[in-house]
Amino acid sequence: MGKKIEIHDFEPKIMAFVCKWCTYSGADLAGTSRMDYSPNVRMIRLPCSGRIDPQFMIKAFEQGADGVFISGCHPGDCHYNEGNYYARRRNTTFRQLMDFHGIDIERIEFSWISAAEAIKWTEVIDAFTEKVRELGRHPQYDDEVVDPYAQFLVQNKQESA
Amino acid sequence: MIEAIRNQARLLLENGDVDVVIGYAEGSDPSRTTPIFIRKAEDVEKLIYDPRCINSLPLYLNKRHEYTRKGWKKTAIIGKGCDIRAIVQLIAENQLKRDEIYILGVPCEGVVSHPEKWDGSLHDGNRASKCIGCDVMTPHETDFFPGDKPDVDRSTPYEATSKNVATLMELELDKRFAFWRTDFDRCFKCYACREVCPHCSCNTCITDETTPSWIDPAAHKKGVFSWHLTRAMHLVGRCTGCGECTRACPMGIQVDLFNQRMKEVVQESYSYKPGYSLEDKHPLITYKVDDREDFIK
Ligand code: SF4
Ligand code: SF4
Ligand code: SF4
Repeated sequence: MGKKIEIHDFEPKIMAFVCKWCTYSGADLAGTSRMDYSPNVRMIRLPCSGRIDPQFMIKAFEQGADGVFISGCHPGDCHYNEGNYYARRRNTTFRQLMDFHGIDIERIEFSWISAAEAIKWTEVIDAFTEKVRELGRHPQYDDEVVDPYAQFLVQNKQESA
Repeated sequence: MIEAIRNQARLLLENGDVDVVIGYAEGSDPSRTTPIFIRKAEDVEKLIYDPRCINSLPLYLNKRHEYTRKGWKKTAIIGKGCDIRAIVQLIAENQLKRDEIYILGVPCEGVVSHPEKWDGSLHDGNRASKCIGCDVMTPHETDFFPGDKPDVDRSTPYEATSKNVATLMELELDKRFAFWRTDFDRCFKCYACREVCPHCSCNTCITDETTPSWIDPAAHKKGVFSWHLTRAMHLVGRCTGCGECTRACPMGIQVDLFNQRMKEVVQESYSYKPGYSLEDKHPLITYKVDDREDFIK
């Protein structure tokens, strides 16, 4: 039996970039087992979590995603042995970059999900969707900003070269 | 000091040890200097070095400028400490071989932040911010150095992050976001910040790619953000802090704030300092099994 359908004021758009060997199969298992999970997630299948270029995530935010979800095999289980270790390092720095840029890093979720963890997939996705729903719409780059403090900062920047 | 450099340059050219010496010469007005490529021994008198020499010469060693170097087997280059960091980083990234380059190191007292600020002397009012706390005033990797090289302790991290990074980090998230949106509003995507960077060495920059077009080419806010985030991400652990991008920006955007912040991040997370070692592997092309993963669910 499916969950009761709830109506929300705001439905976040969530992009998921997942590894085809584990997370994608895990999500597939969730589907074939008829488990329910949040329909807000749009999934893109990639060969490895090491293939997830930060460019994809930047593009997703540029195009109006409210949250980005990245997932791959648990450490030690990578189909290519080490792809997920690189992904881990890359995301450590990428999150700091987004934070410095003023994007709430709660909007970027990273998770290890294996092909057998269909239940974990549904739980993580549902929880993330709820979290992003609470955070609200991601500010669009072309929204007008009138922030006197920001303008003050821009005009009074200390000289640097 | 410059006499010793000139003599060495003359010797190198006369003996045919190098094909060209890249250095600085007097520029179009008294406050400016210009990069110069010297190929004849009699021209070495044109070489100068003083706090007006702000250009980052390693730019010309970058693969993107290979056409300039066509046929040159060995290049001598005058380097102040921060430029030598860039050279070392290029070598570490296999953009360059150590034996293709002859580094004429200069002792540096600091440079001016902008030619307009030059008033005949260097003082706190016109010193570039990267020069405050610099640990490579005596360069770390040279083939020739005029006089004796004093021992310098470079074990402690070099902190030339401008105060603005700290100021921004103290702001709340949405204020920070508003700051960038107001600041980047002026960027019109001339890509001067890329052209001037010694580490932007791609033959085709991702922003020039059209199939697919990863970065919206228009200079509206979306495209500008994608551009700056991508650029910052590509330079993680590679930016050696020459500050040229900020100096080159015609709109006065402090382009290198992102890079400075990322420099702090790689130092905190992976104790990596770009530009100091010819062997160290870039932090994002290597890993440890027990790297931090506190953010992973
Ligand atoms: S140099 Fe300045 S205006 Fe030009 S692309 Fe870079 S940030 Fe934008
Ligand atoms: S990003 Fe800017 S400061 Fe860093 S190396 Fe490139 S030009 Fe220099
Ligand atoms: S911004 Fe990135 S793709 Fe473009 S030249 Fe620099 S490193 Fe290369």
